[in-house]
Amino acid sequence: MQELTRFERARIIGARALQIAMGAPVLIKVDGVTDPVEIAEIELMEEIIPITVRRR
Amino acid sequence: MAMSENQDLDLGGVGVESKKGSIRSISSLPGIGEHRAEVLYNAGFRTVDDVIKASVDELQDLGIPNEIATSLGRRSLGEKELSDLLVGYRLPQNLRVLLIEKIRNIEISEMELKRAIDELLALYKQITVDPNEPVGTVAAQSMGEPGTQMTMRTFHYAGVAETSVTLGLPRLIEIMDARTEPSTPLMTIYLKEGYDQNLEFAKKLAIEISTTKLLDLCEMRVDLEGKSMILEVDERALESRRVTGEELVDKLSSQKNCEVNDMGETIVISPIEKNYRQLQKLFFSIKDMRVKGTPEIKRAIVRRERGEYVIITEGSNLAPVLELEGVDASRSTTNDIYEIPKVLGIEATRNAIIRETVSTLEEQHLDVDVRHVMLIADLMTKDGGLKAIGRHGISGEKASLLARAAFEITVNHLLDGAMRGEVDHLDGVVENIITGQPIAVGTGKVSLTMKWSD
Repeated sequence: MQELTRFERARIIGARALQIAMGAPVLIKVDGVTDPVEIAEIELMEEIIPITVRRR
Repeated sequence: MAMSENQDLDLGGVGVESKKGSIRSISSLPGIGEHRAEVLYNAGFRTVDDVIKASVDELQDLGIPNEIATSLGRRSLGEKELSDLLVGYRLPQNLRVLLIEKIRNIEISEMELKRAIDELLALYKQITVDPNEPVGTVAAQSMGEPGTQMTMRTFHYAGVAETSVTLGLPRLIEIMDARTEPSTPLMTIYLKEGYDQNLEFAKKLAIEISTTKLLDLCEMRVDLEGKSMILEVDERALESRRVTGEELVDKLSSQKNCEVNDMGETIVISPIEKNYRQLQKLFFSIKDMRVKGTPEIKRAIVRRERGEYVIITEGSNLAPVLELEGVDASRSTTNDIYEIPKVLGIEATRNAIIRETVSTLEEQHLDVDVRHVMLIADLMTKDGGLKAIGRHGISGEKASLLARAAFEITVNHLLDGAMRGEVDHLDGVVENIITGQPIAVGTGKVSLTMKWSD
């Protein structure tokens, strides 16, 4: 996978955290983590977020 | 890979290593089997690092075949060989050249070189900026902030060795505004090899360059009765300015509508039509007459700088000076940034902006990354001419009406735009801030899509 810039990482985490905060099913074992941003970060690290960037 | 394995082992230090472990890690090197590893171990090599620091000869002495020893051991790599080894690495040209420059003539093994390159690449990557980074904004802030510190310090001060130079904030503003006439224009004239150690030559050239006016050479009296002017020539001044009496008379004779009489110690000069009007006219045309030297250059002094004689001039006029014998045109320069595009071209102008800005900042002990300055210099020179930063330059030429209005003289811009019926496409940053939308920079420029599972 291509490396993400810090802007892309921030944008993806933001979008995913919003989804999670609004009740989307999480894709990892949360193990007591409740902060949607934290969950999104872990999901991005695991590369299982179904979101990518469109580069132009 | 072998590399990480041996790094783990290195942590223990040589003494703690077991013989077996050492041999195993050494044998991971290309061309080294367990047998050769043991030979190496017995010869005192404990880790991979030890081996790649050995010279080719040392390895050969231990019975390692030539080819393997060459690729493993330290030797001095030629320029050709080095550039061959660098093929395939994504390094910018100047880093490549720098690396070859540093490594050439040093004994180094290929593996060590690879490590050095990897380190360099990592460092290079670390100092590059991410795409979508608002570099322009950062550059502007990085110049603006030191500017606020400069205001509180010196404004203008007399510099070293008889010359006065504008420094600090006024100078910075001068550069950014691409002012037509800097307040203290100054040239630094370097001399060609063979002339640069010759003080006599430098002094002569300095006198040759600097303007000598008529009144520097003689006292002038006006004889109203005889309707003429009497010049009392100062022989010492003539000598120190290296002007001969004949030259002076020749120069005076080139004036229109007058008669020149050389009387030895004095020169009498009178208008052909003997009346007061003509006399007065002649007086004014002669008073500021330049006898010798280059226009604009008021004074020139010789200074010794880094083991050579350099001429510093007050006033700047690069073009005629570069033509003179002994002047090194490739190094001589001026601080008049407006003059450089006319004489040396736009690339030289870009370099001059960078050099002048950096030296102004450095002189005040302000540390600004050159890349900010380079960006500004690029912007000022990008379309082949020199443009200022402010309202009359870059900011005034923005395509977006809202962006221009946001900068200065808002009402005028809006009124003019309305009369012209301008359309704003909201492509830039400022326009989108005004209209309350995300800006096309950083996070705002990333667009997301669904990733379909494969």
